[in-house]
Formats: sequence, C-alpha cells, structure tokens
Amino acid sequence: MDKIKEEKYLIDLKDGQAGVIISIHGGRNLIKRLADLGLNSGTEIRVLRMTLFSGPVQIEACGSRLVLGRGLASKILVGIKE
Amino acid sequence: MNNNNINIVLAGQGNAGKSSVFNFLTGLHQHIGNWAGKTIEKREGTLFYKDHTIDVLDLPGIYSLTTYSAEEIISREYIIQNSPDFVVNVIDATNLERNLIFTLQLLELECPVILALNMIDLLNKKKSKIDIEKLRKHLNCEVVPTIAIRGSGLTDIIDRIILMKGEESIYKSPRYGKEIESSIEELSLELKNIDLPYPERWIAIKLIEKDNDITDQVISLRPWIRKKADYLCTILEDIHGHDSSVVIADERSHLAARIVAETVSNIAVRDISLNDRIDAITSHKVTGYIVMIMILGGMFLTVFSFGNWLSGQLDLLFKNWHNWWNTSFGVGYITSLGWSAIESILALIQIALPYILPFYILLYILEDWGYVARISFLMDNLMHKMGIHGKACISFIIGFGCNVPGCLSCRIMESKRERFISAVLVTLIPCSAVSVIIFGLVGKFVGLWWALGLYLFATVLIFVIGKISSGIIGGEPVELIMPMPDYKAPHLRTIGLQTWHALREFVYIAAPLVIVSGIVIQAINLAGWMPAISSALSPVTVKWLELPPITGILLIFGILRKELILVMLAAYIGTANFSEALTPQQMITLAIVSMFYVPCVATISVLWKDYGWKRTLTICLFEIIFAIILAGIVGRILDLIM
Repeated sequence: MDKIKEEKYLIDLKDGQAGVIISIHGGRNLIKRLADLGLNSGTEIRVLRMTLFSGPVQIEACGSRLVLGRGLASKILVGIKE
Repeated sequence: MNNNNINIVLAGQGNAGKSSVFNFLTGLHQHIGNWAGKTIEKREGTLFYKDHTIDVLDLPGIYSLTTYSAEEIISREYIIQNSPDFVVNVIDATNLERNLIFTLQLLELECPVILALNMIDLLNKKKSKIDIEKLRKHLNCEVVPTIAIRGSGLTDIIDRIILMKGEESIYKSPRYGKEIESSIEELSLELKNIDLPYPERWIAIKLIEKDNDITDQVISLRPWIRKKADYLCTILEDIHGHDSSVVIADERSHLAARIVAETVSNIAVRDISLNDRIDAITSHKVTGYIVMIMILGGMFLTVFSFGNWLSGQLDLLFKNWHNWWNTSFGVGYITSLGWSAIESILALIQIALPYILPFYILLYILEDWGYVARISFLMDNLMHKMGIHGKACISFIIGFGCNVPGCLSCRIMESKRERFISAVLVTLIPCSAVSVIIFGLVGKFVGLWWALGLYLFATVLIFVIGKISSGIIGGEPVELIMPMPDYKAPHLRTIGLQTWHALREFVYIAAPLVIVSGIVIQAINLAGWMPAISSALSPVTVKWLELPPITGILLIFGILRKELILVMLAAYIGTANFSEALTPQQMITLAIVSMFYVPCVATISVLWKDYGWKRTLTICLFEIIFAIILAGIVGRILDLIM
C-alpha cells in the first residue's frame, strides 16, 4: 500500500484529489449515518468538486456519488497518498 | 386469510427506482395517504395478477434502518409489526455497495427479502457484470435483475413470490466478524424467549449498537442484561478502538464491500462518461449557477406565459356562467351562496390547470432527469445561512408557482425544525396569483423595474426572516447528506403519474376550505356587514396604509385567492385602469400588503394539516401584523422619495 503523504480535512482537498478516510470526528449518530452510506475509516474517497463561497462538497466513494454539507466535510480527516 | 392474497412491501434507498417499481406494479390502483400522525407519505396499491390479489406498500425511501429519522422508524416497525409476506428490496445495481448496507440491515430483521437488482442495464453499459448466483449465495435470498422503468424483471419477482408463498423458509441473518459473532451469541442466549416482537439475534445486534429504544425495552423486561451488554460492548471497543455502535456499522460496510469485490467483475473505474461531461458544466462553481438560472428562468417563463394564455381562455369560457346561473335559478340568498361555491371551484381550476399543472410537469421532468439534486448542491450554502439546507430550495421554487405544493414539498426535509422553517418561508414567496397583482398593478402602472424590485425585496426579506426564525426556533441545521444521482433520460410514465398524484393531492387539500370560506364570505356580504367591516378596518387601511376604504374588503376576499384583490378592485372602480383610483405609492403599498399579509386559504389548510392549528394561527397572525407594519413604513418612505 502507498504511504500516506499528508493528512487533511476533506474540506481542504482540491477538486479531483483522492485519499483514504482516516477518521471521522463526530458523534456516534453522525459516524453511523456515514457508515450506512459506506463511508468509514479506510474508505477511498475522491473529491469531485466544491461550490463557490464554501458550499457543500461533491465526492465519490464506493462507486457512487454523494454531496456532503460543509460542516460535515470539515469533520472527515483524509489521508492523501503519494 | 385468503390464500390468493399476498402482501408485499417495497423497501430501499432513494433513487434506486422504488417508485418506478411501485408505479409499474400498481398503475392507477394507488392510494396515497399519510402514516398515522405523521407528515410522511404512505403509498399503497393493489395488483391483480394470475388470480392473486397482491397488496403493495411502498415504504419511505431511506438509507438505513438504524432510526435517525421518523421514516426509518416507520419502516422498521412496519416490517416487524405487520410481518408482510415479502419485502422486496429495490437496489440500484450501479451503486451496489452502498445499497447492500441497507440490504444487510433488512436481512438482520429476518424477514423474507427478495432483492430487485434494479438498473441492471445501466450497469451493463458501464461494462461491468454482477454474478447473480454468487450474490444470492452471499445474501441467502432471492435476487432478480430488473429494469423497473421498462417493467422488465418485475413479473419475474411476482411469479417467484407466488411460487414461494407458503413455503417454510429459514432466514439467515448476515454473519459478521468472529468477536462480534461471539458477543451476539452470548447476548442471544440471555434473550431467549424474551417477550418482544423482534428476532433475538437482531435485538442482540441493537444492544451492541446501543439503540436507545430497543435497549430500554429489553432492560424493562430483563434488567440484568444491561450489565452483560455493557461488558460485551467494552470488550469490542477494546479490540476495535472505537464505539461499539460504530463497530457494527463498520462491519456492515466491510461486508458489503467484500460482497461487491467477490460478485462484481470489472468494477468500473469511472471513465469520462456523458454524465461527467454534463456535470462538469451543471455542477461547476460558475457555469453551474448560470445554467441553473437559465433552466429555472426558462421554466418560470414557460409556466407563466402558458398559464396566462390558458387562464385567459378559461376566463372566456367561464365568463357567462354567472349569468346562466342567475337566469336559471334566479337571484336570491341561497342561489348566491350556491354560486359562490361554484365560483370557488372554478377558481381552483383556474389555478390548478394553467399554473400548477405545467409547473409540476416541468419540475418532475427536472427531477427525473436528475437535475434537482444539482440545484440542492448549488444552493445548499445559501440555504444554510438561513438555517436550513439545500433541499429546501426545491420547495421555494415550487412556491413561486403555488404556495400549496411548495408547503407540501417541505415534507422531504429530514427534521421537523427544517420542515417548519421552510414551510413558513414558502408562504412568503410570491406565488403566481401574487405575481398577477405585482405585474398587473405595479408592473403595468408604476414600471417593470419596480415590479422586479418587489421580487428582489421579497427575496431579501425571506432571507432575513429565515435567519431570524431559525434563530428563534434554535437548533443546528441538519447537514446535507445527499446521494448524487446520475443523469438519465426522463421517463414519461413516471412523470405523468407523479404529476397526476400531486395535482390530485392539491385539489383534495385545497378544495374543502376554499369552498367553505367562499360561502362564508359571501354570506357576510349578503348579510350587509361588509361596509361595517371596511369602516372597522379603516384605521388600518386608510389611516396607516393610506389606501382607499374598499381595501379592507379586498383584503378579506384576497384570503381566498390573492388575485381577487385586483379583480375585485377592478370591478369596484369599474375599470382596469387602476391609475384612475390609486397613486403609484398606493399601488406599491397594496402590492406589498397582498404579498405578505396572510397565506391564502388553500395554503392555510396545508399548514393546518401538517403543523397543527396553533402554529398555523401564529404564522397567519404574525404575517398579518408584519405585512401591515411593513407596507405602512414603505408607503411613508415612498411618499418622501417619489
């Protein structure tokens, strides 16, 4: 496996950048909710695009696309591989 | 029970094609109501097939069964309490992994599940294949590939259901990691023969997941289990390093990922598809907004120009009806009351056919195409500033056509709080009837820019009120979590059915109150109380708003239909040239009062139904006072500058 080069919050990734979820900093409900959508630590995730004025983030994971609110995206720590 | 009666429920995540399956199976044999005491839609239907009567219930589209929302609890409880003959789990084959997590939760309930592996054609297009036989073995349930919008595979499901009916089956809930299984087993032993309607293994899983509701139920029957459960949870947490509730959720998604890895060949690395190319423009941070404005602008333009044309035609059609009525039945108290009932029905038709119908058709085309999710994505940020999220934008757009369906659509919001705030804001949006006043009065006699200015004014005001009301109601906005569907060709049958049901709901909700209040106001009129009322209101209308005394009566009738304000004013002054009766300042003041002073009767009935009479009255009262104060102040400012 590739080594993780740096860790960033999902919100700080650029369009098209990909990584692996390291951890989700949130309450139990939030973590379960995301897990039900297939997002948990170890999930490969790719940012498709963001909106202007710090809006939500469009991502791709487990072969499907999701839109995550800004606040949520700032709680997901992503490891970016070399 | 009759042997030829079978009941099935459809369960699945949003966008998996559950509605298409439901529509195909039941066609027009549908009944749409509400879940008891909830504002959540309950859709039931019947299918007659090969001597069998099959009752189909469509559960709300949800993402899990782990009780975050009312929809999820409803679905879970329904499956457990009513033990349907079959649960048809409709899943999107192109999003297999995410959908399987839900399937695993269904299987945990140990109910008879049949998997409808939907949109299999889209998967084949992506050049990947699912090994159906392997998937069946993994999940231990029937798997049928389907293409719901074309109806293919659906009769296979029904045939299989008829075959399997009455067969004794052993349900095997999915198996997880070793240490989890041993905890589940230990708890299951303690739970043997417990007096709860749920399977023991499922209860054990819920205890590990720390589901409050289930834990309480268990503890009240067998208090000693709490200690055991806590102990086992701590062990799991030590092994996995995080909360035991997350351990189970993780386990499910890992199992789903493993099943996908073993059954799907060529897990397509997404190539640049047509979808990506469209999305590069429609979701883009700059062009996305331009496209959105063009699409929505085009939509409004189409609806309004078509609506004005058709409403003119209907006016011509209904023009002589009042005279016919009077010549046939004579003029008297009873016949006048009868006419006002008919007039109310005609008024409903004149709103429903020219404006609401085309609005719904276009909206459902956008939705079926997949564009509505893009609007939510683009607008989430702005909506968030008002304390609600991007999905509310859809209700706002509908609200410009008519507040009634706008308020109804607020039901898609996840939390009660957001549902209510969005509905309040929708009632402030100038609907097509208010647009008639804005353009017919201000646009025509003061200037088009003033009319457009009023729209801008309304938008800013809604934003401010949104900010204030979410501050008053408190609480954090729910974060947007929304799957982004791929664009697909709109399916006409689906759009037709959706439009039909939405229109029918509008008429059912709006008609009774519109007719009754039409009669009541006419009765007050016939009793000769109107002059007294208008002079009683004159301190507000004449002194504060500086409008003619007739305004009081206009505003009362305007509650029925906002555009009546203009229609009746024209009748009163005997000409449609309003500049003879009102100064430009007065026109703007009147338009502002009309925009905000109270939701129309049909909207009030929706609010009443969904939020209770207390909240409805509060909204009405607030809006009346607010509009009067606002219009008075604006009038005085206009006196200074105009």
